[in-house]
Amino acid sequence: MEFRFRKGRDIDLGLAPASTPVVLRAVRSVGLVARDFPGVSFDLRVGEGDLVRRGQVLCVDRLHPDIAFVAGAAGRISQTRHGARRRIEGIEIATEGDEESQFSVEPARTDDAALRALLLRSGAWVAFRSRPFGRVPAPADRPSAIFVTATDTNPLAPVPAVVLAPKLDSFRRGAEVLQRLTDGPVFICQAPGPPLAEPGERLRVARFSGPHPAGLAGTHIHHLWPVSSQRSVWQIGYQDVAAIGDLLAVGRITAERTLSVAGPGVSEPALVRAPLGSDLRDLLGEKRSDKDTSATRLISGSILSGREARFLGRQDLQVTVLKKREEAVPARALLWGLLARLPRAAIGATLPSEGFERVFPLDLLPTPLMRALAVGDVETTERLGGLELLEEDLALLSWRCPSGSDYGALLRHVLDGLDEERAA
Amino acid sequence: MSQSEPLLPCFWKDNRLTAVWAVAALAPVVAAVAERSFALLVPLVLVLGLAGLWQVAFARLRNRVMGWDGIVTAMIFVLLVPVTAPLWQLGLSLSFGLVMGDLVFGGRGRGFLSPATVGLAFLLFSFPEGGAAEPGMATTLAAVGSGAVLLAASVLSWRVVAGFFIAMAALAVPWAMPDEWPALPGATLILGLVFLIGDPVAAACTNAGRWAYGLLAGALVLLFGHEGGGILSSMVFAALLASIFAPLIDQVVIWANIRRRARRRCDV
Repeated sequence: MEFRFRKGRDIDLGLAPASTPVVLRAVRSVGLVARDFPGVSFDLRVGEGDLVRRGQVLCVDRLHPDIAFVAGAAGRISQTRHGARRRIEGIEIATEGDEESQFSVEPARTDDAALRALLLRSGAWVAFRSRPFGRVPAPADRPSAIFVTATDTNPLAPVPAVVLAPKLDSFRRGAEVLQRLTDGPVFICQAPGPPLAEPGERLRVARFSGPHPAGLAGTHIHHLWPVSSQRSVWQIGYQDVAAIGDLLAVGRITAERTLSVAGPGVSEPALVRAPLGSDLRDLLGEKRSDKDTSATRLISGSILSGREARFLGRQDLQVTVLKKREEAVPARALLWGLLARLPRAAIGATLPSEGFERVFPLDLLPTPLMRALAVGDVETTERLGGLELLEEDLALLSWRCPSGSDYGALLRHVLDGLDEERAA
Repeated sequence: MSQSEPLLPCFWKDNRLTAVWAVAALAPVVAAVAERSFALLVPLVLVLGLAGLWQVAFARLRNRVMGWDGIVTAMIFVLLVPVTAPLWQLGLSLSFGLVMGDLVFGGRGRGFLSPATVGLAFLLFSFPEGGAAEPGMATTLAAVGSGAVLLAASVLSWRVVAGFFIAMAALAVPWAMPDEWPALPGATLILGLVFLIGDPVAAACTNAGRWAYGLLAGALVLLFGHEGGGILSSMVFAALLASIFAPLIDQVVIWANIRRRARRRCDV
């Protein structure tokens, strides 16, 4: 299957790390942040000051205690952060030592229930996101299909084919294993080129090319297997699939990911291998003065859908480094500077434009959808296909829209409301 | 919900969109002033002041930051009004158009009509004796240039423009263009297409809908012309009627999209 898109837009932010050698980075701290998992509330299994092994359970989901969140690196729990109503917002580990948990994988090789238990216990489960709603799937869920996103069109993202080259065996093993979690197909969505895995009866390879968002799971799912309130799918990133393959081979978790560190704030873009949840400041590597550090903004994820954070987000495979105060795209003329001084509403109204359709390669109607989101019309959003989308799918529309609305945040609000309604 | 500054500055951040739109409207105004002498400046200053006044008044009333798009409305309005209309008629019509066509809905982008269209329709309907002045060649060229700029900025939809001309060309065969109309597309036609019919607020907001909307507007213009309307009133009333139909057109497109996607979900 081959899909070529003309609609979309590649944002130019300078050089991406194409195939530079991968640098290993030792990090001083890693963190687990609740914000990465909408709908999950953490139930702690460790206390401040405890020593933890890599792969040890730090906390579980209060609603589904089988879903475990594990340590990305060995060390000592330095802080557990609490938010409103004593809700746990984050857990920080100061790295120390190199102990790691060992999992017994023999039963999981043949028994499907044991496989689920292994994935849940080892923290690999939380790499899945279900659509609709973008949640960590419940332990008993059986999706109608699983999508492996092995292409990435985000600005400055690492190139999956390069990252996967030394890990192809693990990736294929992981993709085989995924078939045991669903009765439907497993789609490998990749860029044009040789297939990353041998297609089988249920393992299908689909190729996507074109400007961003051709590499987003939302685009793939919309064109191959559209979801609805009756039909859900799971999506998972290519490096997480390779990690599952490793886990089944050796019984230890692979917490390291290959990340791109790039952007206007770094001199040389780099491919970096570092654990999940790494402290972003440690990923920059190069000796930096305090002045340098305070002059940069560290974004976990891409400029379109990432956020300024201290730790690497669970699904993020890149760090975008921006310069502070200076804009990512330099302002050109005096006229624009003058315009910026004129008063203007923070959030205006949408002004429809063909430009929206031009960056949106889905068979959904962007302007009606944006209007429904802007006024918080849950029912219309659902009818217009809002259930097929997650925040990242609307990032280009937020950028293109003159109103200044963040449609991703508005969609999250609508999805959370619908999910609660469904659960009740 | 707290709204933080996006990481990637918005494509149309600050007032850039209004600025591009204002520059596009300014070009034909300058050309018209050059052609029609400075007599045009008096009504221009009047309606610009009035538009600013209304925007400030509504911003105060609603406790909001004021918008700047009233300036554009005023410029287009002055370009298209009959030269014989007295100033008080202009002021009254523009006020009606701005307030009832735009500001009562909450400002630009929240209504479904173009305020310039509403103002012109009010003027032509209430004071029909005024004769339209057909601006000259320089204004026409400036209007074409403005249209090109707005097309490039995708403020103006090429689908609306294409649909409009296709409908006009197709219907010019059975309904011959009125004799008194200029043979070539004149400034009134171009200005009306670019700023009245092509106003993104008034037009349909889906790609299929934009085609239908352009076709409808083109057909209506010729129909009104055929029934004996002048070119200005044909353009204005076609724009008004088409923009009233635009939400219905969009709704049909939305229904079709929902049905198509539902069927596709059953297939795979």
